[in-house]
Amino acid sequence: MSSSKVLMPTEENISPPAPESSAVTSSHESSQEETEKVIKVNDLNFAYDGKKDVLRDISLEIQGGEVTAFIGPSGCGKSTLLRCFNRMNDLIPTASITKGSIEILGTDIYDQYVDEIELRKHVGMVFQKYNPFPKSIYENVAYGLRIQGIKDKATLDQSVEESLIGAGLWEEVKDRLDASGLGLSGGQQQRLCIARTIAVQPKIILMDEPCSALDPISTATVEDLITQLKSKFTIVIVTHNMQQATRVSDKTAFFYLGELIEYDSTTRLFGSPAVKQTEDYISGRFG
Amino acid sequence: MSQSDPSSTPSADSKIRGGQFRKKGFTVFGLDLQDFIRFFFSGNASLAIVILVLICVFLAREALLFFPDHHQGLKAYRKSGQEFVDFVGDEVNDFTILYSNANVAYYAELNQTSLEQDNLLAAYRAVQSLVKNETSRVRDRLEDHLDDLEDVVDDLEEAEEDLAKLDPAVDGEKIAELKKEISELNAEKQQLEPVIAELRPELRKASETILNNSLTWKFDDASLKLSEEQREKFREAVLRDEPDAQGDHPYVAELKKISAGKKAAAAEQLVDFKATVTALRDAAKPLKSLHSKLKRVASEAKRESEKFDTAPGRRAALLEGAAKTSDPEEKARKIKMAEAVMIKEPDFATLTQPLYAAIPEHKAIAEKMRTEVAALVKQLPEKASTQGARERLKHARKAERTFDSTVSASLKKMDKWNHDKRYSVIGSVTAFIFGKDWVTNSSWHDFYGLLPLFTGSLMISIIALVVAVPFAVSAAIYVNQLAPVHEQNLVKPAIEFIEAIPSVVLGFFGIFVLGTMLRNVSQVEWLSWVPGFPMSERLTILNAGLLLAFMAVPTIFTLAEDALNNVPGAFSENSLALGASKLQTVLQVVFPTAMSGIIAAALLGFGRIIGETMVVLLVAGNKIKIPDFSEGLGVIAQPAHTMTGIIAQELGEVDNGSLHWRALFMVGMVLFFISLAVNYGAQKILIRFQKV
Ligand SMILES: Nc1ncnc2c1ncn2[C@@H]1O[C@H](COP(=O)(O)OP(=O)(O)O)[C@@H](O)[C@H]1O
Ligand SMILES: [Mg+2]
Repeated sequence: MSSSKVLMPTEENISPPAPESSAVTSSHESSQEETEKVIKVNDLNFAYDGKKDVLRDISLEIQGGEVTAFIGPSGCGKSTLLRCFNRMNDLIPTASITKGSIEILGTDIYDQYVDEIELRKHVGMVFQKYNPFPKSIYENVAYGLRIQGIKDKATLDQSVEESLIGAGLWEEVKDRLDASGLGLSGGQQQRLCIARTIAVQPKIILMDEPCSALDPISTATVEDLITQLKSKFTIVIVTHNMQQATRVSDKTAFFYLGELIEYDSTTRLFGSPAVKQTEDYISGRFG
Repeated sequence: MSQSDPSSTPSADSKIRGGQFRKKGFTVFGLDLQDFIRFFFSGNASLAIVILVLICVFLAREALLFFPDHHQGLKAYRKSGQEFVDFVGDEVNDFTILYSNANVAYYAELNQTSLEQDNLLAAYRAVQSLVKNETSRVRDRLEDHLDDLEDVVDDLEEAEEDLAKLDPAVDGEKIAELKKEISELNAEKQQLEPVIAELRPELRKASETILNNSLTWKFDDASLKLSEEQREKFREAVLRDEPDAQGDHPYVAELKKISAGKKAAAAEQLVDFKATVTALRDAAKPLKSLHSKLKRVASEAKRESEKFDTAPGRRAALLEGAAKTSDPEEKARKIKMAEAVMIKEPDFATLTQPLYAAIPEHKAIAEKMRTEVAALVKQLPEKASTQGARERLKHARKAERTFDSTVSASLKKMDKWNHDKRYSVIGSVTAFIFGKDWVTNSSWHDFYGLLPLFTGSLMISIIALVVAVPFAVSAAIYVNQLAPVHEQNLVKPAIEFIEAIPSVVLGFFGIFVLGTMLRNVSQVEWLSWVPGFPMSERLTILNAGLLLAFMAVPTIFTLAEDALNNVPGAFSENSLALGASKLQTVLQVVFPTAMSGIIAAALLGFGRIIGETMVVLLVAGNKIKIPDFSEGLGVIAQPAHTMTGIIAQELGEVDNGSLHWRALFMVGMVLFFISLAVNYGAQKILIRFQKV
């Protein structure tokens, strides 16, 4: 497999080392063409215990306004990379990136001056296991705004409604906003979690296998939702399900054993994979 | 042994039970080792349950027998007319509260004018007695020598007088004797005088040393600023105060004179007040004497009633004694005594007749008194110059209203009262549960009322809970959610260790450290706005509550920590991913989710607190009285007794099977049920919590 070390970039995602980007730059200062690439991973290594790298030499750029899918066999580091984007890995005391950097909206997010709480307001996340808080539907959606100190009832009402509409849940729950979020069906709960995430109005939404706990019908609904959300958000989705990747994503990245094997437009990656491992994986020969 | 049908069980094996599937190895009646091991364990488990049931049954039997006995006692209380007399007693008691408030108010006013001098005098006495104590060794020696010298001088004078009376011609021998005695006494005097002359400066020096110590003047803080001159005068006065000093130092004498003068002047000013107070006391005289008269009547009836109740027992004892003695004369005497034992029920109608007869008299007295008292209370001064007096006057006015309504109530009750009216069993239960008095070993009547003990227990527990819950829950939140691992490993065992402190040790701490500290802190002037401050007692509801709070912290902490631990980590993760800070996550997601578990923790903490005995016994002050809630929150500065404390305190001293003994068991039952209810509630809440 060592031969597969070659990363096959398309013409647009060769990542040139950007020395000036290590300085803290606000998204306002960054130039127009850079905002197109909302996430830039530069030669990243990551270790949970500070020693053994579970991600190695990852470099990729994620285009704004697109859906990017991460695929690969279990344990290859998809979730780990995703959780690097909103620094959720910080919750594990010993975990850290050991090499390289990540720029989001032109800012190095592992810079010492970056407040990860501020970052997470811009980079939302939807988890595999839907997990509404044991609060009412309304409070679940309003949560992100409330913790930002927004108390005005009208603002909250409006945001809750817009977010629920955005998550395609409004029609189903508008009459019982005060009912517990835990009383909904699985698919509804996941969409509630999506509503909760978009209420904060992030630029990027990270989704870690958002459908793996759902039945096929709910999965279809959520997939529809993802394609709709594309117009407003940049979405990165981890999935096990290759049909899903082909259905929802514009670009796909294939990971294997902590390395990025191939990254290309979804049609090309599934249609004519450049690397043998990718082909083996998508044709179901392993994984 | 089993019937075997050869047609259906052709094999020879089938003749044994179990056939080819028969248990292997050692069996008894078809039970093998596995079964016996199982029996062993289940036996142990059921033994615990059996013992628990036995304890419950024993407790319940002893406790429930309380009610018939209590009922009996209450019936006697009514039959003998004691109940009736206590109607008057209530009036007298309420009046006494009124009167003592007015009286104290008067003296507060009276002493107020000379407060400055009295304070100075008190300060002087404090220094004086301190110096006296500290120099007692020298002082006592000086005093002894001075006494001796005085005796010698007296003897000398006497001898010289005698000598002068004697005629040298006749009593030559005696004169010689006396002369010898005089010379001896003189010698003794000469010996004593230098010693005394030496001791005086020694005492002076010792006293000066004490006076130079600033601690001696420690009372002299903000409240009483002694001027340099006053201090100097106190010094002089103390130094002058040798055992044989005559009169006071002029400065002290002056203070005393001024004080007395001011008091006299104040007394003149307050002469109306004094007259009112005296008139109040006089107004109560007829009622009080009627009360004591009726008390004698009822006591007599009660004695008769007791005699009757114990008669069969005494008679049986005498007969038994007679059967045992061999001496026929003794036997005959005992039998005769036994026959003399009255078994006839006393005639309560006759015995209580004087009570009924006293109704009109009482009515006249009480009506007259209430108008008099009402008028007199109106005459009490509206304004008072001291805060204390104002408070007291307010209380007196309030007590007047209470007194008045008590009189109305008593008059009504007396009219309706009948010594022969049935006392319902329910009445005996309510008399226990809602009884306001717990009085035992009384010469009048024993009351077994739960209320003072219950309120004591409840208040202490509430204080403990109010203090412990925030403390323990915050600690749990910190340890579970915020603290780094090494701190968790330090704080958790430390808090859990509190559980290991013997409660008697905590009680000690409560008496000698916390009690004193609380009282001293409460004396601080700028804290006087705190309800209940300044406190006069060391052993109070507050003190016990604080200690119990400390004891409850580990229980609540551990359970609350568990509850927080049970909150799925995903909630935290989701919240953080939405851009919440750790603290926001804890307060808005984790804590509300763990709420019911935390409530259950608090409930179980309450169970722990209300059952605690040692600390409350040592620290709560053990005063059997419903705390006076009229002081609002300040009520926590009062002492109280508790349900656990009373059992621990009294159970050792009562006779097995007596009413008092049963009453204590009943209190135990109440505790048992409270604990049961609390635990049940906590379980319910926990089960609901697990469903989330
Ligand atoms: N919290 C963690 N601590 C240590 N190792 C972890 C942790 N989470 C994941 N890993 C390891 O990191 C590697 C990548 O895991 P992950 O990113 O979850 O894979 P994927 O999402 O692609 O299935 C795996 O080998 C996994 O065992
Ligand atoms: Mg994963």
